[in-house]
Amino acid sequence: MGSVTGRFQSETPLHSAAAAFLADAFDRGWPDPAKITNESRRAAILQNEAKEIFASHFGVRLDQIRFLADPEIGFHLGISGLLSPESTLYYTAVDRSEVYAIAEDLQGERLDVAIDGLTEYPEGTTTDVLAWQTANGETGIRSQSPSNFGGRIFVDATASGSLLELPEKWHCALWNSRVWQGPAGLGVFAVADSSVWRNPLPHVDSAASSSNYSLPLAMASAIALEVSHREYQERQFALTAINAKIREFLRSEIPEVDVAGTLNTTLPHLLSFSFLYVDAQMLVNELDRRGFAIDSGSACNSSNMEPSHVLAAMGLLTHGNVRLTLHPQTTEEQIDQLLIALKEIVLELRN
Amino acid sequence: MELNCLGLRCPIPIIKLAQAIKEDLEVILLSDDPATEPDLEAWSRMTGHSFDKVGVAKYLVRR
Repeated sequence: MGSVTGRFQSETPLHSAAAAFLADAFDRGWPDPAKITNESRRAAILQNEAKEIFASHFGVRLDQIRFLADPEIGFHLGISGLLSPESTLYYTAVDRSEVYAIAEDLQGERLDVAIDGLTEYPEGTTTDVLAWQTANGETGIRSQSPSNFGGRIFVDATASGSLLELPEKWHCALWNSRVWQGPAGLGVFAVADSSVWRNPLPHVDSAASSSNYSLPLAMASAIALEVSHREYQERQFALTAINAKIREFLRSEIPEVDVAGTLNTTLPHLLSFSFLYVDAQMLVNELDRRGFAIDSGSACNSSNMEPSHVLAAMGLLTHGNVRLTLHPQTTEEQIDQLLIALKEIVLELRN
Repeated sequence: MELNCLGLRCPIPIIKLAQAIKEDLEVILLSDDPATEPDLEAWSRMTGHSFDKVGVAKYLVRR
């Protein structure tokens, strides 16, 4: 594992277990698993082994799993693939910008999300489609179950990985390998029932997801998932305690901070908070200078200079925003140092 | 009081507003920054103020 000291950004280096396995994976996983030569059959076995690991961690069947070279295309495959001409597409105000782009194209109906993360889902008809996220990648807030929705459900599990189960009813689901310290450039896509899903891209076989992908990366990603899932399980209580400590520090040590959600409504390793009257760009730069890498949803940190649509939709403060991702390797000492630095910098910038 | 923050980026409009509202019960804030409207919402909730949007890039803020 590369050093994660001071790293609280969502992306991490490839997990050391996957990195050690990568050369071997490329050695063995190069043949096309779909062909019928001996080498291809061996690759097909490797493909199945990788799929088995994903299937067992995600609680789906092996035959429901497909790999994608581009995780982002999975949003289009999943949502557009479930739609029929009479469908209404529902999505929430805190969905990812990929979902926004599709919904704007299809005149979807946006559902409000309250400051506590609550959303009212419509009942919908059987052909309506709901884009639903297990948890929000910015605030860490877990979504309520969409159990009252009567239509088809696309599950965006790209923020939670294997940490949250799929809802009881789901039709398509999407994961991103980066979330479990796997290699970039791999998405895992699942279709619950091929009879309600059609590939929305130009295709030869309407049931295939028509995406080329790298089998060696899928194999390495499966290893990363197995190891990092176990590390999360082992560190779950420690990470929850660290999260609680950060929340308590912000509440008692720094005035006028807007923290998203509560310990009970969020994933323990994701945390978003905003300091009133603080310029996020100066905050990010100063933290970076001191060796702490953090993310921010403030406008000055985005490519289009717009504030995070997630923070704005929930009524959370968009300036002075800090987004922390705690990794299994994150220690309490690192957090103590970060909190001291945060307090110093915020008080300095407010002066 | 009218506070012209046109062209200023977040968090400057909210910082100037917080100073201005100490001196006046009502402030007309002119701000075209895309973060101003959501941040007025959050700032009002956090500090106990209230506001109405009264025009394009124009807000009436009350103590």
